[in-house]
Amino acid sequence: MKRDEIPPGTLYLLILKTLALHGSLHGYEMANSIQQSSEDVLRVEEGSLYPALQRMLIKGWVTAEWGVTAGNRRARYYSLTTAGHKQLGLELSQFQRVFGAINRVIQIA
Amino acid sequence: MIVDEALRRIRMLFRGKQFQHDLDEEMRLHKELREQELLNRGLSRDDARGAASRSFGNVTSIKETSFQAWGWSWLESLLQDMRYGVRSMFRSPVLTLVALLSLGLGIGANTAIFSFLDAVMLRSLPVKQPAQLYMLGEEGESGITDRYGSTTLYSYPFYRQLQQKNVVFSDVSAIFSMLNGVHGTIDGRNETEEMKVQLVSGTYFPMLGVQAAIGRALTEADDDSEGDHPVAVVSYAWWKRALAADPSVLKRTIKMGKTTFNIIGVAPPEFFGTKVGEAPDMWVPMSMMKSVPPGWNGYKDDFFQSMYIMGRLKPGVSKEQATSNVNVLYQQITRAFPDGDLNPRNLADLSKAHVALTSMATGLSSLRERFSEPLKILMAVTALVLLIACANIANLLLARSTARVRELAVRQALGASRMRIARQLFTESLLLAGFGGLVGIFLAVFANKLLLRMISGGNDIIPLDVSINMRLLFFTLAVTVATAVVFGIIPAARGTHIGLTAALKDGRGSSNGNARSPLGKALIVTQVAISLVLMVGAALFTRSLVNLSHVDTGFNRDGVLRLEIDSNVTGRKENDPRQIAMFQEIERRVGALPGVKAASFASFFFNQGSWNTGIRVPGMDAREDINIKHNVIGNGYFATMQIPLLAGRTFGPEDTSTSHRVAIISEQMAKDLFPPGINPIGHHYYTGFDPKPDDDIEVVGIVKDVKFRSLQEPPQYIDYIPNPQHPWGYGSLGVRYNGNFNTISREVQQAIHSIDRTLPISHITTLDTQVARTVTNQRLVAQLSTFFGFLAVFLSCIGIYGLMSYTIGRRTNEIGIRVAIGASHASIRWLVMREIIFLVAAGVAIGVPITLLGSRVVASMLFGLSGAEVVSLLAAIAVLFLVAILAGYLPARRAAGIDPAIALRYE
Repeated sequence: MKRDEIPPGTLYLLILKTLALHGSLHGYEMANSIQQSSEDVLRVEEGSLYPALQRMLIKGWVTAEWGVTAGNRRARYYSLTTAGHKQLGLELSQFQRVFGAINRVIQIA
Repeated sequence: MIVDEALRRIRMLFRGKQFQHDLDEEMRLHKELREQELLNRGLSRDDARGAASRSFGNVTSIKETSFQAWGWSWLESLLQDMRYGVRSMFRSPVLTLVALLSLGLGIGANTAIFSFLDAVMLRSLPVKQPAQLYMLGEEGESGITDRYGSTTLYSYPFYRQLQQKNVVFSDVSAIFSMLNGVHGTIDGRNETEEMKVQLVSGTYFPMLGVQAAIGRALTEADDDSEGDHPVAVVSYAWWKRALAADPSVLKRTIKMGKTTFNIIGVAPPEFFGTKVGEAPDMWVPMSMMKSVPPGWNGYKDDFFQSMYIMGRLKPGVSKEQATSNVNVLYQQITRAFPDGDLNPRNLADLSKAHVALTSMATGLSSLRERFSEPLKILMAVTALVLLIACANIANLLLARSTARVRELAVRQALGASRMRIARQLFTESLLLAGFGGLVGIFLAVFANKLLLRMISGGNDIIPLDVSINMRLLFFTLAVTVATAVVFGIIPAARGTHIGLTAALKDGRGSSNGNARSPLGKALIVTQVAISLVLMVGAALFTRSLVNLSHVDTGFNRDGVLRLEIDSNVTGRKENDPRQIAMFQEIERRVGALPGVKAASFASFFFNQGSWNTGIRVPGMDAREDINIKHNVIGNGYFATMQIPLLAGRTFGPEDTSTSHRVAIISEQMAKDLFPPGINPIGHHYYTGFDPKPDDDIEVVGIVKDVKFRSLQEPPQYIDYIPNPQHPWGYGSLGVRYNGNFNTISREVQQAIHSIDRTLPISHITTLDTQVARTVTNQRLVAQLSTFFGFLAVFLSCIGIYGLMSYTIGRRTNEIGIRVAIGASHASIRWLVMREIIFLVAAGVAIGVPITLLGSRVVASMLFGLSGAEVVSLLAAIAVLFLVAILAGYLPARRAAGIDPAIALRYE
């Protein structure tokens, strides 16, 4: 099954959006959720979620808390902060601006 | 926002372990869940694990990136390097000890000397915007002068006029050029205490912008009418020392002379006045000048020129503008004084006068003049010693880094970058230097106390703040880092240039080019050269000091007790017959004590300032450029000082206030200033340029020349005047005695107190000490440069020993072969010694021209020597060779003792 690499710089956006949709998730759930939502088109190198999450923790966009999974295992659950919500808005509008511009360029051709 | 982020980063720093653990667990869970999912889809266990791992990515690098995201990886590797550095320091404890000790001494000496340099020359006054402050004239003059054209000392009326008329200063203030040493009484006490009183204009504190710590400072209102403001601001140190920091200090009073002064304020702790190295105990307004003993009467005298004037430049006014304004006013004000004596000579002097402005940013200081040269030289000396220490450590580290070749090669082979290894080696150097710096600061604290004592040259410690401060720590830090760079950079660079395969293959690298270690040799040569410079310097300064102590003073400096009394407490003027009689009675009673051969007061014994005027000798051209130093003395003065009388007579009871005025003159004065071929005895002259009958003096004796103000000075023109004919408010008594100093001292004090119980006696010492104190800075430089010279040689020896032991270790099998094919012990020893002699010779060859150059720089500080002379140079070279050969002998003997069988098998 061939999957496409996600465009650079959009990983934050994907994580933020996923967390906004589902409340709090741990890393594995996030990876699955992104994959499923994109109908298996987008491929996230799963490990790269973690450095990204650390950076988001530093920025204060997400917080993390240890909880227990359905299978009764300890997992770290991430959820959005107010700053995270704001950031999602920013990233979304930026993405749409860029995406719209690219779209227009392509359609002219 | 940024603060929050920084906080999160810092919080994370303290949870390093937890962080790793959490991340591990999180990622493990992720992979296991993925693996489970794939298992459920029907993959085999192995395939599932593989696929899960592949889709996850490289765990180690993800962990690394996650960690790096927090921005602490530099710290982590630094800590790691430091841990490693400490471990490697402990692996070679002798090397570490030698390095730490030499670094500690080097950095400590630099810190100590710098703290004095800072306190004496560099530190700004602790006042508001010190850079705006300027004084009129140039430093170096103090006292009272009636000379026309005085551009440093001014009268109080002049200050007032300048204050009103100038357009360049926002504030102007006057400060008396001398401290009054007063014996005053603090309320409720019986005993008088010595206190140093500084007279200042009311504008002094406001101009400096100094606020009182308690109460208030002096203001213009305290200085508006003479004699009406008996108030004093005391220094913080005096408040603590003399009043035990009494909180109700503002209710205390001090009685000085007949006047009781109210304490109105305590100055802030950091404020010591405006003269570095001279801390007044209290400041009193100029308006009280006449009430503070000795009771100067100059508040309204237009020509009582005794004060420094300083001003604060208005914003935007340049120094040049201020200078021109001041000079215009200077001529205008001085010429307009109604009581001015504007004769042609005075007018000529006045029109020649130019007032220069001197920055007051670092305050006034007589110390600066005396010690700036010695301190600069000592700073250079200590810097050189530190350089030697650095060379030494560089050499030791170099030797060790070569021994560590395999370790470094292994690390490079495992993928450490060159940068990374250089960084690690450098961290080790920095660590070493850091510990050395700590040792240095510790040593500096002790050295400062010792130095202050040495600089003070006696028990009166100069009030100079040389405690460790931020600026000093910064200096030490800079020096430490600099040393680390100097001694660490070569080994670090070397450590990273390793032929990998060669190093790993080769057991001890015995055959590579490093064995010759040209770098190590260059360092040794440098050390020897610097040592030579320092040794010759030490020899020159020491010989100069010896020359000074052998100077013929003209008087016998041994066996004379000296003390000071404060005759102001009697409240009588010096020309009061009772006062004159009291001095004579003291001389008589002290002189009659058993064990005392003679006793006399004098206005000046040695290096106590001077009182000068011009003279007019009939029959000779008037020489206005010549000033005569006058010394008012008691009748027993020449017996006390044992100054030989060459012709005529000494003073006796026949010389009274009513008899014709007489003088005894110095040999040089007789020779130069009296008509040739005429016996000066019986000849008359006038004090002052104009022949007024009142100033007529007859010469009755000629005495041998003496040193008057310093040991270095050429023969002086001095005349001696009997006290009754020009009464002096004496303070200084000299007593020639035989026997025990303490016994005599006690009896002399009792004799003085039997005449007046209230006379305060202080500064009991000997004439010899008084003379020795004038060469304090020469002694300081001689002693310290000798110490550092030996230290330098010692360090160089360690360097030579280290390098030789190391090269012999490296050449073991070469020497083994030489022995095996029949080289004798002596020739092996020669092989080693030859190298040492070559190194020292090279060092000397480089050192000699530098020494000759350097000695020209210090020539002005030498006495009785003209720069480097052959004896000192040869002696230093001989010493260097001797100790180098000693240092090299041990390794040479070891080399000669190498057993070829063992040496060759070792390979």
